[in-house]
Amino acid sequence: MKFAPLFLLISVAVLIVLPWLVSGSMLNAAVQMLIAALFAMAFGLLCGQAGMLSFGHAAYFGIGAFAAVHAMNAFGGEGLLPTPLLPLVGGATGLVGGLLAGYFSTKRTGVYFAMITLALAELLHALAPHLKTVFGGEAGISSFRMPAWGIGFGGLNDVYFLTLVWTLVCIGLLYLFSKTPLGRLALGLRENAHRLRFLGYNTNALGTLIFAVSAMFAGVAGALQSINIEAANYVVLESHISTAVVLNSYIGGVRVFLGPAIGGAVMTFFGHVTSDLTRVWLLYQGIIFVLVMMFLPRGLMGELVERARNPSAEGVAQTLGTLLMRLASLAIAAFGAVFTIEFLQRLLSPEYRADITEGNWPDITLFSYDWAPLSIAPWAIGLGLFGLGIALATLINRRVAARKEAQA
Amino acid sequence: MSDPILSLQHVHKSFGEAHIIRDVNLDVIPGERHAVIGPNGAGKSTLFHLCSGQFAPSEGRIFLNGKNITGLKPAEVNRHGLARSFQITNIFPGVTVFENLRLAVMRKHNLQFVFWRSAAHLRQVNEEVDDLLTKLRLTDRAQTLASQLSYSEQRSLEIGMTLASDPQVILLDEPMAGMSHEETDYTADLIREITKGRTLLIVEHDMSVVFALAHRISVLVYGEIIATGTPDEIRGNARVKEAYLGEEAA
Repeated sequence: MKFAPLFLLISVAVLIVLPWLVSGSMLNAAVQMLIAALFAMAFGLLCGQAGMLSFGHAAYFGIGAFAAVHAMNAFGGEGLLPTPLLPLVGGATGLVGGLLAGYFSTKRTGVYFAMITLALAELLHALAPHLKTVFGGEAGISSFRMPAWGIGFGGLNDVYFLTLVWTLVCIGLLYLFSKTPLGRLALGLRENAHRLRFLGYNTNALGTLIFAVSAMFAGVAGALQSINIEAANYVVLESHISTAVVLNSYIGGVRVFLGPAIGGAVMTFFGHVTSDLTRVWLLYQGIIFVLVMMFLPRGLMGELVERARNPSAEGVAQTLGTLLMRLASLAIAAFGAVFTIEFLQRLLSPEYRADITEGNWPDITLFSYDWAPLSIAPWAIGLGLFGLGIALATLINRRVAARKEAQA
Repeated sequence: MSDPILSLQHVHKSFGEAHIIRDVNLDVIPGERHAVIGPNGAGKSTLFHLCSGQFAPSEGRIFLNGKNITGLKPAEVNRHGLARSFQITNIFPGVTVFENLRLAVMRKHNLQFVFWRSAAHLRQVNEEVDDLLTKLRLTDRAQTLASQLSYSEQRSLEIGMTLASDPQVILLDEPMAGMSHEETDYTADLIREITKGRTLLIVEHDMSVVFALAHRISVLVYGEIIATGTPDEIRGNARVKEAYLGEEAA
């Protein structure tokens, strides 16, 4: 834990020099990763700290995005609202929206709270295409980034730095917020709202305020997206945006501070890379979520923090060795699984099935080799490697368990 | 005898046809440790709910420090100087012991919607939390998650949170329920210590605790107080023996 500030410093330094390290396409992905990270952090305040699982956070991301686009068009990036300050509009809109929605939804807890947030978001999503002046109908609303403060904002680098500064500042503010009395009471709300009431607190008002703060930062993230793509379309209100932020936050670890940000960034990066490589990348995303929930229920970051707090008794070298062996065996299993899934995907695709004529099954190209689908080779490689990887992992686990027993 | 700090006058509570509390008159004297005993279903918990504002009485009046608190809400009763613990442990399990007490202490200082100050720098609050930790003998457990405390430590924490608002009157609802002998002794000591200078009203089933701890005892049977007196008077009371203590005395 004592290395945490050092890690943070190095991460920020890397983020600052990133434009000189990576390609334009990768930098574009980095902008999206930052936005997803901030959005997930906003969600994490509500869900991880205050224990309120919202299924409708796309609504606040969305209204922030639209508010920013309207502000861009109204002010032309000048006067009171130059381009760098546009996220303030998104934040203010999110805050107001959050106060309204939070007042109603925090009157209930648990599943009922989740259902109300879902209903409110779906209501907005259903309403949006009909309100053409506000949401621009099917086409959405587009705009242009204007230069301000001597910065052009024409190129990707400027947008990257704008997004980076806002994301870092907002995450910093969220951190400070978690240390204030209100931020501490969020934990009380999560742990035992009934007791808070008997200590004399107004839990509905507390919940509403925390909901609004979360919605405010979601609105900032939405505004950053509008600035990045110079447009907003009502698809940002769709439920899959709400779902993605839930999944990302849980994958990263919703209860540890930077967990949601890591989850948002990692999964956005994953989507960016895999969506070009395979059509079934959403399937992989789902599999990752299920695996993380089954084997690392605290999330990636949560597990890391836990390991750092309670280090294994085996010493660094041994732990690292075990970790590497585990990763290697899992990589073998993952390759086998990916091979099989990709092969099946190609075999079952409509294009391939159209090619089958009179029992003649053409070869399938996968990883630059041609495989006969009716032969044993591709299936043996895929399932065999998967089985081998799992067997190795099991073996390693058994050996670690045996060593621990011997020590005890 | 000084004026009572908590006074119930002709209090009656019924739920539909069920008359749970019947014409109860009870005066609790400032500074005393007053126990309420009685068989299961006698209405002891209901009596506590009436005093702490969870229920309003159907008839009669309740005075706290001479003020009429009949029908006030729990938070309002709390601010008039009466705090209660719960029969079932009611804490914040997933945060540290320190945090549990800080959440309880902050309300007293009116820190609710404050997001411009650091909780770590609230000197007064943190000092009070440290004091409470010392009193509860939980100082070396301050950074432990409340869920990882032993059962009796959790009960101590529960009592500590009741204490956090610095109330004049404390209501403890079966604080020793489910405890071993050592834990019971330990908690009895703790209660004696932390209620110095305050008034205690306690419901407890462990008779050895009640007779050792209480200055006065009231016996509640079927919603009626059949006797109030010192432990010796209660032990010698024929009606009490017949109604309640009989089996133990035999």
